[in-house]
Formats: sequence, C-alpha cells, structure tokens
Amino acid sequence: MSLMVKEKKADASDLIREFLEKGRSESCPVIDMHAHLGPYQGIYFPNPSAEDMVRTMDRCGVRLVVSSSHAALIDTRENIRMEEIVRLHPKRFRAYWVINPNYPERIGEEIETFSKSKGFVGFKFLSDYHRQPLTSPRYENALEYADEHKLLVLMHTWGRSTFDSPSHVEQLAGKYSEAILLMGHSGYGEWEKAIQVARNYDNVYLELTAAYAVNGVIEWMVEEAGSEKILFGTDLPWFDPHYGIGCVIFSRIEDEDRHNILHRNAERLLASFLSS
Amino acid sequence: MLRPLRYAEKKEELLAEMDYYGVAEAIVYHARQKDDSPVLGNDILIRTIKDAPRLHGVFAILPLQTGELGSLDEILSRMRENGIRAFRAFPSEHKYLMTKTSLSSLYELMCDRKIPLFISINESCGGISGWYLIEKILSDAPELTLIVTEHGSWGQDRYFRPLVEKYENLYLDTSRYELDGGIRDFCRKYGADRLLFGTGFPNWNPGGPILTLLHADISSKEREAIASGNLERILGRVRL
Repeated sequence: MSLMVKEKKADASDLIREFLEKGRSESCPVIDMHAHLGPYQGIYFPNPSAEDMVRTMDRCGVRLVVSSSHAALIDTRENIRMEEIVRLHPKRFRAYWVINPNYPERIGEEIETFSKSKGFVGFKFLSDYHRQPLTSPRYENALEYADEHKLLVLMHTWGRSTFDSPSHVEQLAGKYSEAILLMGHSGYGEWEKAIQVARNYDNVYLELTAAYAVNGVIEWMVEEAGSEKILFGTDLPWFDPHYGIGCVIFSRIEDEDRHNILHRNAERLLASFLSS
Repeated sequence: MLRPLRYAEKKEELLAEMDYYGVAEAIVYHARQKDDSPVLGNDILIRTIKDAPRLHGVFAILPLQTGELGSLDEILSRMRENGIRAFRAFPSEHKYLMTKTSLSSLYELMCDRKIPLFISINESCGGISGWYLIEKILSDAPELTLIVTEHGSWGQDRYFRPLVEKYENLYLDTSRYELDGGIRDFCRKYGADRLLFGTGFPNWNPGGPILTLLHADISSKEREAIASGNLERILGRVRL
C-alpha cells in the first residue's frame, strides 16, 4: 500500500497524540538499548558521530542510548574509546564492550580492562558476523563474568541462524541466570521461539531493533511474553528513532505497555549503572 | 501464500486501518494479484475496491505476447472503466523477464501516457534483482515513471543515488527509508519531489514511516509533497 497522508489522527491515546504533535514525550523519555557509533562498512550514515546522535536523540525524545562502536565490532581494541564518549556525554550514553570470539587470546585481558573502565553496562556479541555460535566455549569467560556481576549481554540474534538463533540463547539462559541476556532484533523472523524463550526465562529480553517494523509482531510479543520483557532499540546511527517509536506507539497495545517498552524496562535494568 | 501477522481482508477493514493511522487515500494492490494469476487478481482488485474512492488500484502486468491481459487497447479500456491509473510488476512470482523484448509495447504505452509502474526492490527475474534490475528497467525505458517500493532499511543510498541522478522519473517510497537523517539528507541534495510516502501495509507497521515523515527535519512544503503532492502530481498527468 502506498499512501497519501492528508490528516493527522485525532482520536489517539495521549501518548500517540504527544508524539505526533511534538515528536517526543516528556512522560516517555525513550531509552535505546541497542545503538552503535561512527561510520561502518556497508552503509552511508548522515549522522554517525556522537554529537550527531545527540542531536537526533533530542529531536526524537531519546534520553539515553547504550552503544557499541562500529569500530569495535571490527577491532575490539577500539572498545575503550567508548569510555571517553560516555565521559563526554554522561547523561546520554552508556556502552557495551564488544567480545570477538575470533581472537580468544585477547578476551581475558579485555575483560580485565573492562572491569577497570567506566561507562560500560556489559558485553555485545555479534555472532552472525563473527561466525562463531553463541554457545561456543570462546564466549564462556565473558558470560561467566557477566553472570557473576549481573551484567547485560546484548546478543545479535536472527531467526534460524546457525550462530545466534533464539534456540542458542535458550541454551545459555539457564546456565547464566544472573546475566541479563538481550536478544537483539528479537531473533528476527523466528518470532514464536524468541517469544517462548523470553517468556520462559526471567533473564531473557526481546530487543526490538528492526523487528518493530514487522506489522503485528509487537502485539504478539506483548500478548505472549508481556511488555515487561521487551526493550526498545534502533541501531542508531542506522535507523531514525522515530521509525521505531512510531511502530511501538501505533501498535494495538496499552499506553502502559508503550511506557514499559520505550523506557521503564530499560530504567529498571540500567538502574545500577546510571546511579554510579 | 504467506499470511501476514496483521492484514485487512475486506476494503472496510483496510479503510478502518487507514482511519487509525490518519491516512486519507492509498494506492493499493490485492494480494491475489501477486500470489495468484494476475488475470484473476486484477479482476478481484476491481471488485474489492469498487465504490471506495479513497482506494486507487493498480493493474499487475504481464508480457502481452501470451495474450492473457488482452491487447493494449483492451487494457486501456479496462483501466478507464475502473479508474486504474498505474501498473505494478511482480516478475518474481509471474515468471517473466523485464526486458525490451518482453515489455517494449507496455513500456511505450507507459511512457507515452505517463502511466507509472510500481515495483518492489525485492523483485527479481532472470537472475537480476535489486537495484541492478531497476537500472535494467530504466536503461530500457529511460522516460518511464518508475516507483520503487520497500527499498530496504539496511542503507541503500549508495545504490540508488546514482540512479536518481541519472533517471529523472525514478521515485522512491518511504515505507522502509529508516536511515537516521535519510529523508532530510535526500531532500537537501535532490529536493522532495522524488520521494513518495508509503507504508508497505500489511507487511510493515505503518506507524514507523508516519512518525518518521511527520518529524523529519524538512520544511512543511517538502513534507506535504512527500505525503501526497508528489503522488497526486504523478497520477494527475496520466492520460488513459
């Protein structure tokens, strides 16, 4: 369907109306749990820098993003640069430390550096791109550390992937029950399994980057897993936060669910990292 | 046939969806036009949107050589009778090549009468797909008004900007133009005339492209052009 928009919706909820009119909401300060930073190989970004991202966040009513830098996805020696970004923007950025299982000899030292660094909330795994399954022993040190310290682990997940499907997450969830496992992209395409894993394990969350565009999937997640298990993300500087926010607010769910997804769940998970 | 998670089966349901999102009018095709024989599908579309002036249908095309769609005159006559002012191509499902050999008479008709052709970037034929297929179509018919839909969220500007610069009748819909700052950046370089608002309903959530366009950092005039003015202009110059 291609459309000609000529009118703004009038009979919407207060939250929808506020976002439509202002592009942001005072009562709903969005937290983006899946962001990046800087240029990347396969895409042109108009707004790749931290300052660009803050301007976008202001425009869209995003209070905080949790980022892994694109450079660190390629070379983990770039991870430490995120500490400086958080120091410069302490109210707008937190960071994930990327673990690359293709360089297992570095991981122990990297966790040691991570433990002494500020601004990080946990780890980022990009298994589909690093071509190592989430269940590989090469991730064990990081997962054990995250479990011991109750850290977040954002995992890129994709439906039926041989590296990071929801079934892979399921195999880790019980073993590392104190770590908070975020299924990035909600196991895109394998929705039923992803929802089941999020429902069955207290420490597993559905993260919406890219998934939000699939019409009806947010309602399904809320119905089956509960809005308390869903987190908002955008891959910024990839995707305009308004795109994802629009998908969430127009979904046929309650305003309480929209608040849970867009900020409340993230506030709860990040509480200890934001107070320090 | 795949079943979307959320969809509208009847025109009343589609109109209710449009009301929910604040959408006045829409260019539509029926799922049967794509998933079934386009001959059946075109008839089903006509019956489905009859007496719904907010819905503007498109006809699925085929190479005329098989005779399934009738002659050019017969196609035009059916379009006039039913208020159809655009075509859509589904070469993946309908198994034909988008070449001059297959489609020259239809391309000539579209160019002469300014009838736009819609095509999803996800279509392919004869081993050609994506932007390479779009360049193939436009190199065969440079004057064609071609509207590419669902052009993908994973950063496509490097693909389509060279084509936008070369072919002045190439348009993009915004249903999956999710790139942060993408609409503003595009408008500053090329103006707002080449973008058309779209949602990709029922497969995609219309809320995303709606909020993105409403608060893109562009002028009200540019926003109105993308939301409705550009499509109205394209449809207004069609001569049947």
